[in-house]
Amino acid sequence: MCEYSKRLIAWMDGELAENEAAEVEQHVRACPACGKCVSACEKICREFAAYYAAYTQTRPVARRQKIFGWAPIAASVAIVAAMLLIAFMTRSAQRVPIIEQAAAIPSTVERSPIAAAVPASPPAAEDHYPPYRQQKAIRVGQARRTTKPESTNSQWAMIEPAIQIAIPAEAMFPPGAVPEGVSYIANVSLGPDGLVQGIRLQP
Amino acid sequence: MSGDSFSLNLPLSRLGSDSCEATTLYQELRKPLLRYLAGLGLSADEAQDIVQESFLSLHKHLAERASLRADPKTRPSKTGLDGGPDSQQNIRSWLFRVAHNRARNHQQSYSQRMREPLDRAFDAASNAATPEEAALERERFRRMDKAVRTLAVQERECLMLRAEGLRYREIGEVLGIPTSTVADVVDRAIKKLAEKCNV
Repeated sequence: MCEYSKRLIAWMDGELAENEAAEVEQHVRACPACGKCVSACEKICREFAAYYAAYTQTRPVARRQKIFGWAPIAASVAIVAAMLLIAFMTRSAQRVPIIEQAAAIPSTVERSPIAAAVPASPPAAEDHYPPYRQQKAIRVGQARRTTKPESTNSQWAMIEPAIQIAIPAEAMFPPGAVPEGVSYIANVSLGPDGLVQGIRLQP
Repeated sequence: MSGDSFSLNLPLSRLGSDSCEATTLYQELRKPLLRYLAGLGLSADEAQDIVQESFLSLHKHLAERASLRADPKTRPSKTGLDGGPDSQQNIRSWLFRVAHNRARNHQQSYSQRMREPLDRAFDAASNAATPEEAALERERFRRMDKAVRTLAVQERECLMLRAEGLRYREIGEVLGIPTSTVADVVDRAIKKLAEKCNV
């Protein structure tokens, strides 16, 4: 390889000192190999310049556009995730009120005018019952959770009555329709939304 | 060569802070900077942002220097604005260096761009008159593209800066390498391209 070959491109680019450039020029004129190399380098430089111009002329794909390209997929995933989260939270929120409601009702009932006349806990002796049973006896049961609390909504609706309320017959039926001394126990079924789904009366 | 106007080869320390010079500079250097950044693989938006940031940095430097001159008690900063190590660096290489350094934060774009097929880009850029010429030109572009992708990053950057008309000393300032290394890298890169393209 010619000793000047390393300096040919620097010479072409005008990067050599004046005396050194003159020396290289003289050599290139005399050396066919270096002359050929210079021609090849000039050609490749022209081709690279054309390539570079074409490469940089065209508008590259913007990164922001790329992000927008992913936006619909990301938005879909986000929407589905949000819907799942809302569904989960709604389900959790539905469970809590039933439990809380069941726990809260006794105190509400106690404060009511009817409950005011009733002892908070069932009397120990059977003797205390007759007047209340016949007229306005209310027995408030304790809220009970089902043995399988982490089950589906339908199971929550079908659990045993959490509250037992004895309502005087006079309050529900016209006078004389029900013989005296008969009381009913109402089994109230609550739906997942906390509303009453059904009432079953037991004498 | 776009960068040969008198103002671009002035050392940075001799640049005034008046708006006329700044406007001339912007007009002269905006396009080469945008081209170089596009060559690095940045999107048009990213390149535009970086060019504006680079000129803003230049403006801040000039304003800082003006305030230092106004207050002779203040010692010159170490940034080379006035008499420091960078004071002889010319405006063009200074701006290219700032833009180049900022572009490094967008390496992802670069690798992304290098993965993209460029056939459509070359079709759009082709000036061929006949279909045969267009096919030949496209083939040349494709061959060159393949060869360029085999180059090292530094070799590619050197060739692009050289294509923008920067001298070896300026390329060295932009990339932070000695001038002799730039000469070696350019020599090696061009010979690699010639070999790959069978020229």
